[in-house]
Amino acid sequence: MTDTYSINLTRAPKPEKGTKSPSSAKRIFDRVRRQPLTVAAFFVIVFLALVAIFAPLIAPYDPNQSDYSTLLSGPTSAHWLGTNDLGQDELSRLLYGTRVALVVALGSVLIAAMLGVPIGLLLGYRGGWTDRLGSRLVDVAQALPGILVALAVIAILGRSLWTLMFAIGLIFTMGFARLTRAVTLTERHKLYVESAHVVGMKERVIIFRQVLPNLVGPIIIQAAVFFGSAIMIESGLSFLGVGLDRDTPTWGGMLSGAVEHQAQQPFLAFAPGIAIIITVLAFNLFGDGLNDAITGGVRKSPRKKLTTAELPGMSNAPTASAATLPGQTYSMGAQDAATAAPDATSPWDSRADEIRTPTGATETLPDPVEGAVLDVRGLSVSLERPEGDVVPLVSGANLSIEPGEIVGLLGESGSGKSMFAKAVMGLLPPRTRLSAGSIMFDGDQIAFQSQRALRAVRGAGIGVVFQDPLSALSPVHTVGKQLIEPLREHKGMSVAEAKERAVELLDRVGVTEARSRLDHYPHQFSGGMAQRVAIAMALAADPKLLIADEATSALDVTTQAQVLDLILDLRDEYGMGVLLITHDLGVVAETCDRAAIMYAGEIVEVGTTTDLFHAPRHPYTSALLAANPASDAQVDRLPTISGRVPLAGEWPVGCHFANRCAFATEACTSAPVPIVDQVRCVRADELTLEAVPR
Amino acid sequence: MTTTTPNTSHETEASRADEPLLVVEDLAVEYESAGAVPWRRKVSRAIDGVSFEIFPGETLGLVGESGSGKSTTGRAILRLNDAAAGSIRFQGTEVTTLGRRTPLSYRRDVQAIFQDPNSSLNPRHVVGRCVDDTLRTHGVTDPGERRARAEQAFDQVGLSTDHMHRFPAELSGGQQQRVAIARALVLEPKLVVCDEAVSALDLSTQGQIINLLADLQAITGVSYLFIAHDLGIVRHISDRIAVMQRGHLVEIGEAEELFTNPQHAYTRKLLGASPASKPEGRDERRARREAFRQMHEAETQLA
Ligand SMILES: Nc1ncnc2c1ncn2[C@@H]1O[C@H](COP(=O)(O)OP(=O)(O)OP(=O)(O)O)[C@@H](O)[C@H]1O
Ligand code: SF4
Ligand SMILES: [Mg+2]
Repeated sequence: MTDTYSINLTRAPKPEKGTKSPSSAKRIFDRVRRQPLTVAAFFVIVFLALVAIFAPLIAPYDPNQSDYSTLLSGPTSAHWLGTNDLGQDELSRLLYGTRVALVVALGSVLIAAMLGVPIGLLLGYRGGWTDRLGSRLVDVAQALPGILVALAVIAILGRSLWTLMFAIGLIFTMGFARLTRAVTLTERHKLYVESAHVVGMKERVIIFRQVLPNLVGPIIIQAAVFFGSAIMIESGLSFLGVGLDRDTPTWGGMLSGAVEHQAQQPFLAFAPGIAIIITVLAFNLFGDGLNDAITGGVRKSPRKKLTTAELPGMSNAPTASAATLPGQTYSMGAQDAATAAPDATSPWDSRADEIRTPTGATETLPDPVEGAVLDVRGLSVSLERPEGDVVPLVSGANLSIEPGEIVGLLGESGSGKSMFAKAVMGLLPPRTRLSAGSIMFDGDQIAFQSQRALRAVRGAGIGVVFQDPLSALSPVHTVGKQLIEPLREHKGMSVAEAKERAVELLDRVGVTEARSRLDHYPHQFSGGMAQRVAIAMALAADPKLLIADEATSALDVTTQAQVLDLILDLRDEYGMGVLLITHDLGVVAETCDRAAIMYAGEIVEVGTTTDLFHAPRHPYTSALLAANPASDAQVDRLPTISGRVPLAGEWPVGCHFANRCAFATEACTSAPVPIVDQVRCVRADELTLEAVPR
Repeated sequence: MTTTTPNTSHETEASRADEPLLVVEDLAVEYESAGAVPWRRKVSRAIDGVSFEIFPGETLGLVGESGSGKSTTGRAILRLNDAAAGSIRFQGTEVTTLGRRTPLSYRRDVQAIFQDPNSSLNPRHVVGRCVDDTLRTHGVTDPGERRARAEQAFDQVGLSTDHMHRFPAELSGGQQQRVAIARALVLEPKLVVCDEAVSALDLSTQGQIINLLADLQAITGVSYLFIAHDLGIVRHISDRIAVMQRGHLVEIGEAEELFTNPQHAYTRKLLGASPASKPEGRDERRARREAFRQMHEAETQLA
């Protein structure tokens, strides 16, 4: 028996092995390493495992050897943790008790997983009647108090190590079954499962070889948590005297002995009590930490708080920020206020005319655009990875939008267009931040402002529509409520006024029977209608600027055309500026007055739509136009762009497009390429590029 | 409304004399709507009366707005959904009555490429394994032969053997879709259902995949049912195009003919709605859409 113990126990502390691909295992390892608590918990677990394995070597006495000369002694030099009522050494019993605790926990969790996981797989995969009936049974079984189940099993099968493991295992079986079922239900509809069907795999093969590997992560996390609980239950049962017999040293048994003799020797309860608490805590913390590492959750990240002082350009004195924004220090007071001075609290001196981008290029900033609703200059966004490195996502972007103008921002996935929009809205996701730049909205500086100040600006002046309309609408409130509330808050309308306005807005965006639809919930609208509602919400604030982030990408062509037409109509009617973010050349061709082309974090070309389509100046723009499969020109083979977009963090020093550019030369790769005269290409002036034939 | 006029495309000209590879006749598929208890569940027809044919070596495009039943049609052919009525005959064999377990021979002949390349590959398996598993399922027991065929398939789709040892997350979207194509083609199928096979890809990658599909067709003579909502792409790749609206097939015809001379009002609407590839004439297009909309509104008000 002792041998099996040690074999099993050596496996226990490293459950994360083999749950993910090598590379993701490494990623998880990196994340775990950055969570001090998880690391500490891991070492506690390793320590416990070592203690359990080497108990015979390190225990000073045989745990069952009685020394009748010292009963209930309390700590002495011979017995560090004292002795119990039979004169047995408490320290030795504690060390041997670790064995029982870990073996029982491991055994019961394994039994639970072996029973519960197949049940869950079957229910989740089969679905239908099997699932409905089975899930009810599982629910009922789980509702039974665990300890009672265990007591019943032990009463029937008698006391033994195996019975104990089985009894505790049964308690967790339903937990595993439910978890597995839930995950399987979502996996079952994934395309890889359907692909396996199409390929002709048998159901059994699909369940066990395709679906099961995807459940390993969640199951292991659950197992780590159950491990802690199992130790608690084992101690509880031993405490009640129904666990293992008295000869086997267990923590629960020690505790119950301590309680019996509390009056004579109060010290006895401490050691087993602390051992239980530490072990349970270690497993729970480790399980949580592992979960965070696998799911990429952020918990107590060492991320620095962004204080005003740290932000570049925040202070007006030439401090460290000067390094980031050289232009600012040169121009300090050197020029007269040729342009209207911005808001006094602005971190950005509008006279600054140069900026250093994260990639190291020193760029000349364009002049501020008078009268623009949005004037973005030198905008850079960076991401702090969980692994600790900081990578630029957007670098030195300039873009302005005039009132009544629709400006497209076109780029492939990962080019940074959404980050650009989020930075403008002040809605950057966790771990990303504005690292440099000026964002003037309707004459006010909105870069590096407090969230409160931003909320006021956004609520009153910027409307936003996202790709997934349902994500912008709250599922638990009616559409009416969601429209009326902001109207009351930002416009100070009465309920009745706000309601009238809401009806008007819905009507305006083409929602039929607007009044009765106020009482509907978002899920009761089709995709296109929901997007109209989202637009109505964006319009509620009478925005000067509407930002549409892939607002039509999820819609089919007919609905897309309707929504785009709506945006055009609203622009004509209200004269607002529109930033239209898209990856679709056709959308730009149909709607935009001007467009900016983004590639790997940089705006590479800006121009009027007609110029871009007929006289592209950047090789990427031209390649993109040529590669458009939707082009009316009938060609046998589509021209393509070879290679792939460099990922954020892997951008080259020089032109980001150089590895795919047919015109690349030495000069392209040696130094960062600045944007000059609206094009970011060193050879822009000498190249004649292909365009869409008129 | 099925056209039988010969196709102008060179590969299909000869093959058109052949028997059709797939004949779909009056196909209907039903979905059960979710309900907490059995008697609250309703059955609704997602598609009804759908008929078309696919010839060897041909690409049939299937377009229509979201929810019109394009995917449902493809899934019925793949036997991922049961047919409620009608028939699907593949090389003369009735497919709808095959029973629960689809014969491997049908699985070998009819393959699929789905929209989302990322989720159509098992995230926990290196991508080489998904081709390997496919071959194993079809009784290729010799590991050496499996490896050789997988390598050949990867090579065909422009991936190196080095890619075989990577996990899907370590490949770009375009590369993932190439793996999906390798998996679909390694069995040398006769028909591949491509459901939005390039829609999730970036513009610069779409073209590569479309060229690849066309090249593979030229070599192997495979037929495609190419489902997409983007008319530009469908026009580029298809020999014939079928248009679906609300579960019905409303028009089917030669690709160029359908684009230049659409018969059904819905086809015209679809064409008017799809964005052009250049800005010229957009104001007229907008005006036309507006007129169309007003006409439609007037019609519904009358009705
Ligand atoms: N699993 C399902 N359960 C119930 N109804 C469904 C299910 N899948 C599709 N439907 C319904 O069947 C109809 C046809 O859907 P289908 O997915 O075939 O459309 P589609 O043309 O492929 O659309 P898209 O362009 O959005 O992919 C729709 O009304 C849809 O709501
Ligand atoms: S800078 Fe050089 S590599 Fe970059 S786009 Fe211009 S020509 Fe091509
Ligand atoms: Mg579909």
